[in-house]
Amino acid sequence: MADVTFTVDGKKLTAPAGTLLIDACRKAGIEIPAFCYYPGLSLQAACRMCVVRLEKVPKLQTACTTPVAEGMVVTTESDEIKQSRKAILELLLGNHPLDCPVCDAGGECELQDMTFKYGAAESKYVEIKQHREEQQWSPVVFFDRPRCILCYRCVRVCGEGMDVWALGVQNRGVSSVISPNGEDHLDCEECGMCIDICPVGALTSGTYRYKTRPWEMNHVATVCTHCGDGCKTTLGVRSVDDGSEIIRGDNRDKSGMNGDFLCIKGRYAFDFTTREDRITKPLVRQPNGQLAEVSWEQALEHAGMKLREIRDTRGGSAIGVIGSTRTTNEEAYLLQKFARTVLNTNNIDHHRTADYASFAAALQGKAGRTASLRDFLTAPAILLLGNDATEQHPALAWNIRSNVRQNRARLYVANHADIKLHRQAKSFLQIPQDGYAALVQYLAGNEAGFDGTEISAAFREALRKEESLVIAFGSEFRGRDIQSLVDFGLGLPNVKFAALGDYANSRGAADMGLMPDLLPGYVPLAAAKHFGEEYPSLPSAPGLDMLQMFDAAEAGNLGALYVVGSNPVERYGIDPTALKNTFLIVQDMFMTETAAVADVIFPAANLYEKSGTVTNTYGDLQLAKKAADKAGVRTDFELIVRLADKMGADPKKLVPFGRGVRADMGQTRGAQSGEADRHAVWLAANNLEPKLSPFDPFAVFDEIQRLVPSYNVSRFELLGGQDKQTRSDLVQIELDPARRDLVLPANDTLFTSGTLGRYSRMLHSVMESRTTKPAETAAD
Amino acid sequence: MTRGWCKEYTAASYTVVMSIVRNIAGITKGMSITFREMLQPTEVENYPDGPGPTRGAVLQERFRGAHELQRDENGLEKCVACFLCAAACPSNCIYIEAAENTAEQRISSAERYAKVYNIDYNRCIFCGYCVEACPTDAITHGHGFELASLNATNLVMRKEDMLVANVGMPGQLAAHSDSLK
Repeated sequence: MADVTFTVDGKKLTAPAGTLLIDACRKAGIEIPAFCYYPGLSLQAACRMCVVRLEKVPKLQTACTTPVAEGMVVTTESDEIKQSRKAILELLLGNHPLDCPVCDAGGECELQDMTFKYGAAESKYVEIKQHREEQQWSPVVFFDRPRCILCYRCVRVCGEGMDVWALGVQNRGVSSVISPNGEDHLDCEECGMCIDICPVGALTSGTYRYKTRPWEMNHVATVCTHCGDGCKTTLGVRSVDDGSEIIRGDNRDKSGMNGDFLCIKGRYAFDFTTREDRITKPLVRQPNGQLAEVSWEQALEHAGMKLREIRDTRGGSAIGVIGSTRTTNEEAYLLQKFARTVLNTNNIDHHRTADYASFAAALQGKAGRTASLRDFLTAPAILLLGNDATEQHPALAWNIRSNVRQNRARLYVANHADIKLHRQAKSFLQIPQDGYAALVQYLAGNEAGFDGTEISAAFREALRKEESLVIAFGSEFRGRDIQSLVDFGLGLPNVKFAALGDYANSRGAADMGLMPDLLPGYVPLAAAKHFGEEYPSLPSAPGLDMLQMFDAAEAGNLGALYVVGSNPVERYGIDPTALKNTFLIVQDMFMTETAAVADVIFPAANLYEKSGTVTNTYGDLQLAKKAADKAGVRTDFELIVRLADKMGADPKKLVPFGRGVRADMGQTRGAQSGEADRHAVWLAANNLEPKLSPFDPFAVFDEIQRLVPSYNVSRFELLGGQDKQTRSDLVQIELDPARRDLVLPANDTLFTSGTLGRYSRMLHSVMESRTTKPAETAAD
Repeated sequence: MTRGWCKEYTAASYTVVMSIVRNIAGITKGMSITFREMLQPTEVENYPDGPGPTRGAVLQERFRGAHELQRDENGLEKCVACFLCAAACPSNCIYIEAAENTAEQRISSAERYAKVYNIDYNRCIFCGYCVEACPTDAITHGHGFELASLNATNLVMRKEDMLVANVGMPGQLAAHSDSLK
């Protein structure tokens, strides 16, 4: 829209016509207070705090509902306006309890700030305040009615933002009260957005309630450890006897791709970190068959010695490694490097929840074809194939809903179930559960194998008219189906793709080569020359995948299995007795089904307790920062390095740290000899310092950026806390057509999160966790 | 010429004489207090051998000694764990853990109470900011001053050390405010 010019407080401002005055002013750095106005939600004009004086208009006007106009002259601060706002505050405080010292919002309360600013602390009212008992609406939502100032933010964010509509306003006038849909309780998605958005302390959180004050916590911005969306979250932590404890999760600064959105898992399900049954001491199975606590030195010595013995007597092919989908990229990279260079084996795999390798193969050489999570907030049209995003990718669903609401984006949904996003869809197509491949063929114009109807024809026609489209597809698509979907998409103008996988770093685990046939960056073993120097003794034959490893264990051919942050015994339904002849090392937080049959257990830190980078399922690379701490546990990174050291490997070869990493910069042999240290040269060229500790994840990140071109993104922005999309066009891959994809979808709901979710009491405490059934998705 | 010299001489001698007079007056004024005090009766605080809980020490009402945590008229703790004292503390010596009152166990009159309330007297500078910050008048300065210890770890006082005796509630263990263990 055309720009208009107007004057605010004597300053000439320019904004597109149709912009709200409050937004235009805030953008220009002129603060206009408001309780009911919230960017992105519908307008309410209920609080009258944002009143301003417009020239030639008789009364004060609300800035939140006034669009800017050419030649408009606005005053935002004057005695008259101050007096008006003060009067509003006085009215609001008429029945607002002055219990700031015990109120959770104290210190970050918008009403408190405004009262400080306009000084309406003294009230003319002498009537006794109406007290009402606090209500508990769900295990995570508490409502203190007298504190409520009826701004309706919660009602709107629940309805418009979440599309849940669990909150409403009851009664009229002075008796108005916010009330939940279940009379005395909430029946909703338990996302906690209403608490987050509440400008006062009327809605408070069950986990954070009365525990501390905002200024008493340290606030650490990191990445959520649950689903594949990689929401940015700010964790409030405080010191406790055995480290530091997380008490709150939110994203009030709207810093990430998720804005201020977090689902129940991101907002509340961090309580697994402080569970009392967490393993905090290394355990080793004694000759009598019992696990006993031993010192770190003994446990590492024992595990290292056994691994070395098995490698030297039975060869690397008798050792298997299973990685995690929740560790950082650096840990995943280090684990596969450890397997391939120290254990001399390609028997490495992880729980795959999407076929990223086929996706990378389908898109190789095509620049700008992968969609970031941000793209779903701005794309004019979105096609969602499979996957129930509301349950499995809550931030994606939030971005889609916001986009549809704010930008009138056109959403096309094809699914075998009637998923909730149907309500936002311009066009919805229900197809058989095994009909996704046929659907893509149908969309591409090949009608064989698909029962076309009028609806599906209209769906196809509408899609073909789109000039810019983002396609997100679930784990229903694998192997050749992804290839044909990408081929179809590339036939349309300006299409971007996103593959939806399930866990916090599923994408990173695949990108970092936790696969028996692919090196980091999906480099095939046969074309590994590029990795030659760092991987001197790389076995050239592909290793065993997850299922083959357990088959080998059952047949007695697997001498040792090293499991990092994974629970394959439960996930793949393995009979624990199959592992009785295998020396099993497990790194985990809890006594999972896999850990229960282990010979050595190392207590590991989780993603909230370590630093590094993670990649969400859209390929957005983000920095994870250490927030919490727990005495007794160590990061997987440190454990891998220490284990390698105990096996007699040179840690400098595993983690490039110190000066002159592998050679001496070539000086002794003449700098022109070509023997210079590639890593040091790369560091110098990129203006980076050598890392000094073998436990510094950034030493490994240097190597990742050097060897995996798609990860060579701007580090400056990454360190600044921004997400950076990895460059999928730089991937070089050739896939064996007979390759097994081995995708096992997690089928998590909003209230489950794999093995980790079982250890969160908060997730189980909400009523909905017992009534929500996991989505039926085709499993292998 | 002669007269001019004479005038200068007179002016100089006047200045010298006056400075001597001023010095004598100053000394006399100072010494007068000394001599007057010499004639007053002697007053000695017989600390630490005097009577009473302070063993003879006489303290002004406003003296800022060891902290006391007060109770309200119902015997409930006044502290509601708002953390304002900890926020005001310039030496960062107050540590609080809050917890929620339940119907069965009511510790303070508001929703929450201080489950843990520690003051680290290794760091406290007795500035009184915590007392000023307290919205419920829960923390006050008492007159306890014998805080020295040979073991620094003894100088972290817990809530139980600072809480005043629960007057009127027999059977309760009285924590004496002036005797710091």
